Amino acid sequence: MRTKLQHKRSLVTTVRTMLLMMILTCFGTGSLWSAEESTTTLHLWHPMPAPSRAVLNELVADYEALNPDINVHMLYKENEEVRMAYMSATGFTEGGPDLLYGPSDFTGALVEMDIIKPLENYYTEAELAAFDPKGLTWYNDHLYQIGDELGNHLALVYNKRLFAEVGLDRPPETLQEMIEFGKKLTMDKNGDGIIDQYGLVWNFTEPFFFMPFYASYGGWVMDEEQNPTLNNEAAVKAFKFVTDMRDVHGIIPTECDYDIADSKFNTGAAAMLINGAWSWAKYMESPHVDFGLAVLPVNEETGLFPAPMIATKGYYVNPYLEGERLDQVLALMKFLTSAEAQFKYASRLATIPTLLEVRERPEIAEDPVIKTSIEQVSRGKAMPISPQMRAIWDAMRPAYQNVLGGNMTPEEGAAYQQELASQKVAELFEGQDVNQDAVNITAIIVYLAGLILVVWALYKLFVAFIMPMIRGIPGVQVKESRFGVYMVAPAAIFIFGVVVYPFFYNLVISFSNMGLTTVNDWEIIGLSQYGKVLTDSQFYRFFMKTIVWTVVNVGLHVTFGIMLALLLNRPLPGKGIIRVLLILPWAVPSYITALTWRGMFNIDYGAVNVILKNVFGIQPISWLIDPTNAFIATIITNVWLGIPFMMIIALGGLQAIPQELYEAASIDGASPWQQFKKITLPLLKPVMVPAITLGIVWTFNNINVVWLVSNGGQPGDQTHILVSFVYRAAFNLYRYGYAAAFSFMIFLMLAFFSVKFMQKNKATETAY
Amino acid sequence: MKKTSALQYILIYSALALAVAWSIYPILRVVTISIRPGDNLLNESLSIIPEDWSFQNYITLFTDHPFGTWIWNSILVTVTVVITGVALASTAGYALSRFRFPGRDASLLSLLVTQMFPATMMLLPLFIMLSNLHLINTYLGLIVIYSSTALPFCVWQMKGYYDTIPYSLEEAARIDGASRFMAFYKIILPLASPALVITALFSFMSAWTEYIVAAQVLWYEEMFTLPIGLKSFQANMTTEWGLYAAGAIIVSIPAIALFLFLTKYLIGGLTLGSVKG
Repeated sequence: MRTKLQHKRSLVTTVRTMLLMMILTCFGTGSLWSAEESTTTLHLWHPMPAPSRAVLNELVADYEALNPDINVHMLYKENEEVRMAYMSATGFTEGGPDLLYGPSDFTGALVEMDIIKPLENYYTEAELAAFDPKGLTWYNDHLYQIGDELGNHLALVYNKRLFAEVGLDRPPETLQEMIEFGKKLTMDKNGDGIIDQYGLVWNFTEPFFFMPFYASYGGWVMDEEQNPTLNNEAAVKAFKFVTDMRDVHGIIPTECDYDIADSKFNTGAAAMLINGAWSWAKYMESPHVDFGLAVLPVNEETGLFPAPMIATKGYYVNPYLEGERLDQVLALMKFLTSAEAQFKYASRLATIPTLLEVRERPEIAEDPVIKTSIEQVSRGKAMPISPQMRAIWDAMRPAYQNVLGGNMTPEEGAAYQQELASQKVAELFEGQDVNQDAVNITAIIVYLAGLILVVWALYKLFVAFIMPMIRGIPGVQVKESRFGVYMVAPAAIFIFGVVVYPFFYNLVISFSNMGLTTVNDWEIIGLSQYGKVLTDSQFYRFFMKTIVWTVVNVGLHVTFGIMLALLLNRPLPGKGIIRVLLILPWAVPSYITALTWRGMFNIDYGAVNVILKNVFGIQPISWLIDPTNAFIATIITNVWLGIPFMMIIALGGLQAIPQELYEAASIDGASPWQQFKKITLPLLKPVMVPAITLGIVWTFNNINVVWLVSNGGQPGDQTHILVSFVYRAAFNLYRYGYAAAFSFMIFLMLAFFSVKFMQKNKATETAY
Repeated sequence: MKKTSALQYILIYSALALAVAWSIYPILRVVTISIRPGDNLLNESLSIIPEDWSFQNYITLFTDHPFGTWIWNSILVTVTVVITGVALASTAGYALSRFRFPGRDASLLSLLVTQMFPATMMLLPLFIMLSNLHLINTYLGLIVIYSSTALPFCVWQMKGYYDTIPYSLEEAARIDGASRFMAFYKIILPLASPALVITALFSFMSAWTEYIVAAQVLWYEEMFTLPIGLKSFQANMTTEWGLYAAGAIIVSIPAIALFLFLTKYLIGGLTLGSVKG
């Protein structure tokens, strides 16, 4: 017994020593705590994938060697993340990087938010004339982006080796031929009833990859006035064309997102792939692929070529720059878009330069990949850069996925996407046309209400905290209660210091019309955002889903967690190892395990279906295409993730239960079940109730797992819980006011529920 | 406790075997991705060790990327968070369990309430706040935020555990002349080690794998913590899956090691019955 007590003490000693070490370390590495700047450091944020990043690093190193007083600092973020980070840093704090690199479709939103610099005054006409006009992004008669590459266009990649195996020596020239070739190339090599090689794969769940086909039937996403044009004959025919390839011709897999398509083609399990310019370099190096590139074949029915969308990739400049720093930034940008820089990218990565002179150099002009790529670009269409495009993508995605999933006919899908797009475009610009008089009156009312609230809160605070501090609580010594306050204060200051500002910020925003066009000049408009939330039928649908999600998840976490803890809470050889193996799902970062689970739910090859089939003889389940199954899949993943946490809590709690109680109960003849009910559960309660309450709160607001497993709400934007839905609304369509009001509704519901739950379980009362 | 019979052993072990299989299979898939050449997330083969396996991805992590620096940064941030978490939660939890003082119930509930606002909506104002306080590109901002996310749960957890420790222990110490704080520090704190372990583990996990806030706060690659470093292998449609998976496995090793180290304090320790005796 004594040794165990010493054991415990040694933990305290260890912690004390570590604390000392940490303090020393923190002071010792002072330079890490704030970056020192001796030369001028310019910041460049970009979403370049690894191969382009390597070229950029070389170029920047060259530039720094030429300009010793300049230090260029690069930061990589994924496409959407770099856009949002730039918007927060530049739109909300007047900071952010000096240069932003990205595709031209950032332009519209950045201009609407007024956070990029027009560049036409910093370039001579001769300088601009050297560019392909597609390489310069103009919007509302201002030049906003200088491109160094025309890219993102889709083309047909094919594996020459697999083509040769079936006696084909050229890529298909018409879509009909593509289907014929595809049939020849789709095969079950080992005769087990599962197709091992597909004729064609591509990410057919994303509308971006659907666009070329839509265009080949004569359709396009918007008209001259930026109104969506999605409900037409072309959309119906293109939907049918894609579903026929899967259901009638059987040349594409039943389920195919980006990673499935990529993995299949890269390992030689698919003969043709439709993918973008960013991806080709990888396949050129793959040992399983004999790389061939072709333009997307002509649609013989209309005589039109499929037109992929083309985006210019290039640099944007921070609007707050001026003086010497601006000159330095412009010089850097001109270097990075210079002929030499573009030549380097093109010769290494087969990109299409925007400077015409570079395109004509023999090394570039004679490169077969660039040649095909340029031909494909000449048949493509520029991706619209107005902010409406985001609304259109958000509308096409669910409609398209519903058609693919068989929930809508092509006609219904076309009508639905048009209706949804109009609605979302309206949402994008909501808040622009508010009645000024009404705004002033509501603003006064809301501010007054706010003032009253603050006064009331201060009064409450005074009555609850300050007064008793001075006078003491009846029956409790003042000294005693002060000691309590001192012990709690540090933690409370920490927590509330972080939370208070964001909380009130959201509260204010939730009464405002803040949105894409009103980021800098938003006004208080009263309760209308709350009205919008409460009148949206989706709110109630996803609310029900969230309840199911929370109850099932937490229920299973707690049940399995306690069960495992009970099994482990006894002398058992090998216990230590088993415990660690069971904790693993908590220890490995969930952003990769959730993606692994998504892979395991694949209809044909996923481990879940294979096990179901081989062990239980169950037919393959389409986990990710069917909305209900997709929801179940997210729950299974989250149950897996959450059990270890509850198990550990329960294990800790079981330590506090005196063994004598069980012994006494056994002598009195209590059955194991009675012991569990009368001893274990009640004594676990003080430890489990807070864990369960917080488990409920976290699960209710757990966006990660839903987002990763369902790939952002797929299929058809139906696999959402409230938080993932609000996230989509807030950040895809910039509806900040609406999202804040929505979040407050979530907050109020949770707060109400948990206070009730805690009171019911008397969790705030002490045991002694 | 009654002796466990052979049949019971068989049942317990089969249940545990099933649970272990369920728990580790998806992780073995991550291992598979990390040792498979060619950057494929998916593969039709269900075997755990691919035919052409190699540790190249693990080597690349350290040779081509400042992975060692990231590990060190993460350790610095996380250990500070753990110490802050343990220190603040153990004291606050104790006060909330033992003393009646003004605002006690209100504090307990409001600790929970801070967790209820959707975190994604807190990001933007949090960023604005940190930026105004010039805490961008410092670990201080990160540490404060991480500590405050872990604390509410830890405080509650500690409070719940203290509740199960009899009051008579401190009374005895007080009669022997110990101050209030000494009674807590010398007598109660060592007894609460299972809860301390949970607090430490939880603070560790909430700081160790976090990347959303870190990605907002840190702009320099050499300042990155492991999770954002890891995220830089992920790109829209061109993720380096092999590196990503290998990095994830390495990220989890310290977590597992910490757990192994801490479990001896978590389990099989002192129970209250024996203290009384």
